[in-house]
Amino acid sequence: MTTPTMDASTERHLRDKYAIVGVGETTYTRGSGRTTRALGTWAIKNAMEDAGMGPGDIDGMLSYSNNDSTPSPMLAGDLGIRLNFYMDVYGGGSSTEALIGIAIGVIEAGMCNTVAIFRSMNGYSQVRIGGTGARAAAPVSGDALHARTYGWMSAGQNFSQSFMRHMYDYGTTPEQLAMVKVIHSEHASNNPKAYYKQRYTVDDVVNSRFIVKPLHLLDCCVETDNATAIIVTRADRAYDWRHTPARILSVVGRCCKPRIDMHYQHGPISTVAGHYAKDILWPNAGVGPTDVDVTGSYDAFTFTTMLQLEDYGFCKKGEGGDYVSSGAMRLGGERPNNTSGGHLCEGYTHGMNMVIENVRQLRGDVDDYCPQGPDGKRQHTFDYNEGKCRQVNDVGITANLGWAMPGTGSAMVMRKG
Amino acid sequence: MSETTEVPKPIPEPDDESRPFWEGTLEGKLLLMKCSDCGEFRIPSRQHCDNCLSDNYTWAESSGRGVVRSLGVMHQKYHPAFEPEIPYTLAMVELEEGPRMPTNIVELNGREVQVGMPVEVTWERHEDVAVPKFRPR
Repeated sequence: MTTPTMDASTERHLRDKYAIVGVGETTYTRGSGRTTRALGTWAIKNAMEDAGMGPGDIDGMLSYSNNDSTPSPMLAGDLGIRLNFYMDVYGGGSSTEALIGIAIGVIEAGMCNTVAIFRSMNGYSQVRIGGTGARAAAPVSGDALHARTYGWMSAGQNFSQSFMRHMYDYGTTPEQLAMVKVIHSEHASNNPKAYYKQRYTVDDVVNSRFIVKPLHLLDCCVETDNATAIIVTRADRAYDWRHTPARILSVVGRCCKPRIDMHYQHGPISTVAGHYAKDILWPNAGVGPTDVDVTGSYDAFTFTTMLQLEDYGFCKKGEGGDYVSSGAMRLGGERPNNTSGGHLCEGYTHGMNMVIENVRQLRGDVDDYCPQGPDGKRQHTFDYNEGKCRQVNDVGITANLGWAMPGTGSAMVMRKG
Repeated sequence: MSETTEVPKPIPEPDDESRPFWEGTLEGKLLLMKCSDCGEFRIPSRQHCDNCLSDNYTWAESSGRGVVRSLGVMHQKYHPAFEPEIPYTLAMVELEEGPRMPTNIVELNGREVQVGMPVEVTWERHEDVAVPKFRPR
């Protein structure tokens, strides 16, 4: 079977032509007591205030959900926004970067000027991705014959095949993976917004109970209720707003391995979509992994962070275990990852909080426990001890690596504007 | 509510496309779709061969033998019908004919499933279908 490949040698007309100018989120909670409509307007309003925008400054809206959210027209109405474009798409992880690409496309097509993208979910109190609620009892039909019949239903179960095979192929150890949780928990301990601020050790992780081997409880992300939002517009309009824009160098949206419905049928099981996505991401961005200061590699599980960093080329194939346990991903390390604590600690948003975090890192304006100056901004100390700073010094380029499943991923490179 | 309700396992419901496969299971035959044009095997039910796109196929019996390509071991309570089997093994078995099949490894008698372990089909009988599972060989 031949696979079409991107021609990344052509001129990249849209490189650097779009930017993220506003970001916002709700509190990360378990038991929000609110509808996804209320959470969504809360997050978008925060993003508008962050940018300094009013309702008349936004005319496009995009969202993604697993039929567990509220559609754009209702949120726009509640916020006094008249839309020239909207679309609510199906999907969870890896949607954020893909929808940013769609936003760029519709603005480029002249369909609207500025797009707010949101994800609103009661991921703990309503539809749980871990699926221990009503989803577990859904009926068997169609392709579920090859899954549900075998008690094979959750994300952790599906992904476990890729994780276990990586350990077999490359000798990757549970202790190496545990370092992803350790490091992200260190970052969360310096993040006032993080749902879990407690620091964990390797022993804590490998001694926590198994969910589905090789995943321990602490290898798995949290389930939380929250909404998140970002605002995308053209770079030539991006300087009209409050903050230094985060300019978009390239995006990849839901790039897939062959035979995505059964990705394990083709190629090495321990290879993930980043293996293909990297050939779009880096040529279009005009930079490579060594140019990146901060990464946001999706941590639905400790393993997803590692597999993506490896297949996007931050280390050699098979050396992901060494990379994630080396300290490179730590604040103060060579290339910190998920400086908010990510999905393992801050909260679960299907990827958007990692993009928000990198926008703030590029601005030099993350929230932490550093003293505030007269302008209300944190005066960052770059002391990464517990309860201190989480701003990385002088961030120029960031990369987000979004995960849907082993066979599908999205990604984005941004630079400081 | 302290009273517990018996939840049945999710049992496949054969349709026109998959019926030959499920009828085979009752005779202890693991049937695959075999492309009549390029000879590639596939697990049911797919209308087209993803190698040559032909929709001509026959049902061909697999040897029922394969090796474990990868696995996970389920410890978490999830679907209530599977709770008595916890911990149970979810595996990707590569059949001798080529396709990789999601399944469970059973009849372990205390053995731990490993990548590369040779396995063979065994049947979990229900009223009108049998579910193909695998055991060490």
